[in-house]
This record gives sequence, structure tokens and C-alpha cells, in this order.
Amino acid sequence: MEMVSQFLASPVMQGSLLPAMLIALVASSMSVMVMAHRLSFLTVGVSHASLAGLGLAVTLSLPLLPTATVFALLVTFLLAAMPKKRGIGEDAGTGMLFAGSMALGVVLISTAGRYEVDLFGLLFGNILTVSTTELSWLLLVAAAIVFSLLLFARAWWSIAFDAVTAEAAGLPVNGIRLVLYGATGLTVIMCVKLAGIVLTTGLMVLPAACAWFWGRSLAGLWLLSVVFSLIGTWIGLMISYHRDWPSGATIVLALCCIFILSWGGAWLKQRARKHKPQAS
Amino acid sequence: MSEPCVSISGLSFAPEGRPVLEAIDLSLDYGHFMGIIGPNGAGKSTLLSMIAGLLQPTSGKIELFGKVLNKLNRHRLLRQVGFLDQMHDHDPRLPLRVSDVVAMGSSDYASPLWRRNDCSDAVERALQQVEMSELADRDYRELSGGQRQRVRLARALVRSPKLLLLDEPSAALDSRRQDQLYALLRRLSREEKMTIIMVEHDIAAITAHVDSVACLNRRIHYHAMQGDAIPENIWKEMYGDHVHIVAHDAGCIGCHHPEES
Repeated sequence: MEMVSQFLASPVMQGSLLPAMLIALVASSMSVMVMAHRLSFLTVGVSHASLAGLGLAVTLSLPLLPTATVFALLVTFLLAAMPKKRGIGEDAGTGMLFAGSMALGVVLISTAGRYEVDLFGLLFGNILTVSTTELSWLLLVAAAIVFSLLLFARAWWSIAFDAVTAEAAGLPVNGIRLVLYGATGLTVIMCVKLAGIVLTTGLMVLPAACAWFWGRSLAGLWLLSVVFSLIGTWIGLMISYHRDWPSGATIVLALCCIFILSWGGAWLKQRARKHKPQAS
Repeated sequence: MSEPCVSISGLSFAPEGRPVLEAIDLSLDYGHFMGIIGPNGAGKSTLLSMIAGLLQPTSGKIELFGKVLNKLNRHRLLRQVGFLDQMHDHDPRLPLRVSDVVAMGSSDYASPLWRRNDCSDAVERALQQVEMSELADRDYRELSGGQRQRVRLARALVRSPKLLLLDEPSAALDSRRQDQLYALLRRLSREEKMTIIMVEHDIAAITAHVDSVACLNRRIHYHAMQGDAIPENIWKEMYGDHVHIVAHDAGCIGCHHPEES
């Protein structure tokens, strides 16, 4: 209890708790769709490509988050438009874009002067220093993502289940999918603030992966994913405060632990169910 | 309702210059139940996909309910069409209850979350039609192939479509379930005036139930009404010289009855 009150009393944590929870809420909601549509390649690609966006912002002295956001959206749509028919698969496309824009980012940032950029913060996240402008930007992006979720969640879900039938039912599948890609790209940028470029995919895949063992419908999966993510983020932040560990990495580790527990629990449940008929 | 439910005229489809469908003309009234047969690669599924608005014809037009199907009215017209795609035996990954899968077929399922869409009555009714009510709460991933196929059919029926397009609906069903399926489709076309177009491999299984059979191999070689015999040369044109047709049932459309020729 003392640990919790100390944690809550700390002004640094007070400032970072709200943005961290906001990011956790949005990322875990989108993570259901990332799992359903197998978009983890996109989260990896866009998060790494955002380094080039940040490098561009540093070089041209543009505001960091808005520039990264625009750049991430561009990369997302580029990945969506990658010609799959000519044999360039999504994985190869992501690989090329990922390496290319990381390289561009590293060059841009290194030429901009070493001391201006917190490269470690970009790579592994730093939620402890969120300015008011950044917070309002995060809120704006979060609002856009949540709105598109409310508007399209069911359509995205039904396309993930059976895209052909969804299209035959009259849904403009390609357009709706493009919005999904865009929302995923925006979520990635939010996550980069919390967990950094390298760990973002963890925030966008782990919550839904934990919930996948237990959920039986879209609503159930969504709720569980959010709950797991909020718990993981809370525990991660608290441990990072007490142990002085990097916050993003600690949160991702906490989510990994929840995943292992969830997996173990599901395995035990399945085992119990198998043995039940024999016992009776 | 003077106009036909489906009217196809001069339709052809030739992606990259390779003809798949040619000169298709077809007109079906409301409540008509048509079977499409033909060899593998004859373009049966392609034709169905075009009526379902998934593919654009190279030339010709498709009219549904008296209106030419185009990109602008596609969304509105297809709300009255039920479509059962060919079953692919991939493992479904999403955690869904059977009733949720069926609900996905309702025409306003994909509406925003702030709009409530309670379609539980329609879902219940569709599940009853395919005799799957008892499994409504089961996880779809745990069902057998045949059970999944019946759930998919319920999903196509839940919107009470005016036009039902079925691509090999009897796949994965045993013969008893197949008969029940055809009897259900017969009833829907008679009682609810649902127009049904069904692609099937097995002509013998369907002819006792349908109103007509279209023999398709790139073009429609013959459209036999109930009581018609499909001439032997049509069979040979469609399937090649090695076919040998044996009449098996006097009520069967399409069969070549030796005593009549």
C-alpha cells in the first residue's frame, strides 16, 4: 500500500499516469483489430519508420509529434498500397521500408547534432517527460482513433472474419480497410511516446494476445484487452518508479508476464476440461 | 413486380484478354430456383461473384430488382442479396459465438457502435431454419465443417434476402443434410418468393428440387426448365466426349432419357 501511495504522490508519476493510461486504453482497443487482421507487421514497420519522421522534424526544426504523425500516416498508406501482385509481400515491403527509413532517421538525427535528441528516449520510450503541447496532441490523436473505432469496429471485425462475404454484403471493404491502416498508424505514434520505436509492437499486440485465450466475442475481447493493458501499464509504471527502470520497457515486461499467466491459465482450464468427463 | 428479379444481358468477363465468361443472357423471376452446373473452371463461381458485385463484367450488364448494378448503387442493392461463398477449409481464428457469426449477415451489422442493432429474432429464426439453434452459444471455431457450413448459410439467410446466391452450399454436408438443405431452399423459393441461384457439382442431387438448370462452360450452353431434357450434344460440348449420360429418374431435369430420343 505504501508503495502505491508513494507512487501516486510522486509529481513525475502524476504527470505521466494520465497519458500512459490513455495510450494503454487506445493501444489495447486497437490491438484487438491488429490481432484480428494480422497487422503486427504494420506496427513494426510504421514504428521504425517513424524514426525518419522524427529525424526530419529535428533537422527542419518542426514539432516532433505532429511531424512524426504525418510521416507515420504516409508510411502506413505506402505499405497499404505496396503492390502485392508483383510478388512483393507485406513482410518484404515492411522490411525494406523499415530499414530504409531507420537508416534515413539515423543519418538525419546524427547530422542534427548529438545533444539535441534523446535517442534512447525515441528508441525505448519516455513517458516521464510529456509536455502540455504533447499531451494535447496525444488527446487529439486518441480522439480520432476512438472515433474511428466507434464508427468502424463492427465493420473491421466482420472483414477480419470474412472479407469476401463482407464485400458481397455491400461493404466498401478497401476503403474501410484503409481507415483501419490509418488508425493503426496513428496508434503506433502514440505508443512510440510511451514505449519507444523498438517496443511499440509489444503494446499493440500483447493486450489482445492476452485476451485471445478468454474472449468469446468482439465486446468480450475488447474489454479484456483494455483491462489487461491498464493493469500491465499500472504495474509497469509502479515498478519502473520504485526500481528506477525505464518505464516503456517495464510496461512491456509486465504485459509479457500477463501474457504468460494468461496462457498458463488457459492451458490449465483446457486441461481441466479434458479431464472432467473422465472423472465423472 | 413485372420486372425480373435478376436479368443479365450480353455479359462477358475476360480479365487480361482471357475469356472466362462469354455472352451470358439470363433472366429469372422472383421465386425462381436455378441450379448452375458445369465442369471445373467453367466460370460458375465467377458468374456468381459478378452477380454478388465482387467482380465487374468486361461488357454487358447485370440488373438486380430492375436496376443496373453499378458502383454507386451496389451498397444499396446488395443489402437484399444473401451470398454464400465457396467454403474454404481454413481454420477460423476469431473468437466468435455461432450467433455472432450469423448476426454478421444482417444488413446493418456494420453500423457504428452507438447505433443499437438488435437482430436477435432474425438470428434465432435463421438458426432454426438450418437447425442449429441449440449451438447458438457455442464457439464457432469448435464446430465441424458441416456445422460451420450450416451457420454460414444462416448468415446468408438472416437478412431475408430477395436473392440468394449459393456457391456449392452442400459442401461438407452428409446426404441427409444435403436433402434437408435443398428442401429448405425449395420452401424459401416457393413460400417467400426468394430467388435462388445455386452452383453445384452434383446434378443428380439437385435436379429434383430446382426449377431450372443452366449448363455453363464459359457460356450458357443450355438452360433447361423443369421437364426438359438436356440434349446429349450439350453434355459433350460441356464435358467432352467421354461423358456417358444415364437417365436415373423420370422427374430429373437435364437427364437425357433414351426412350424420348
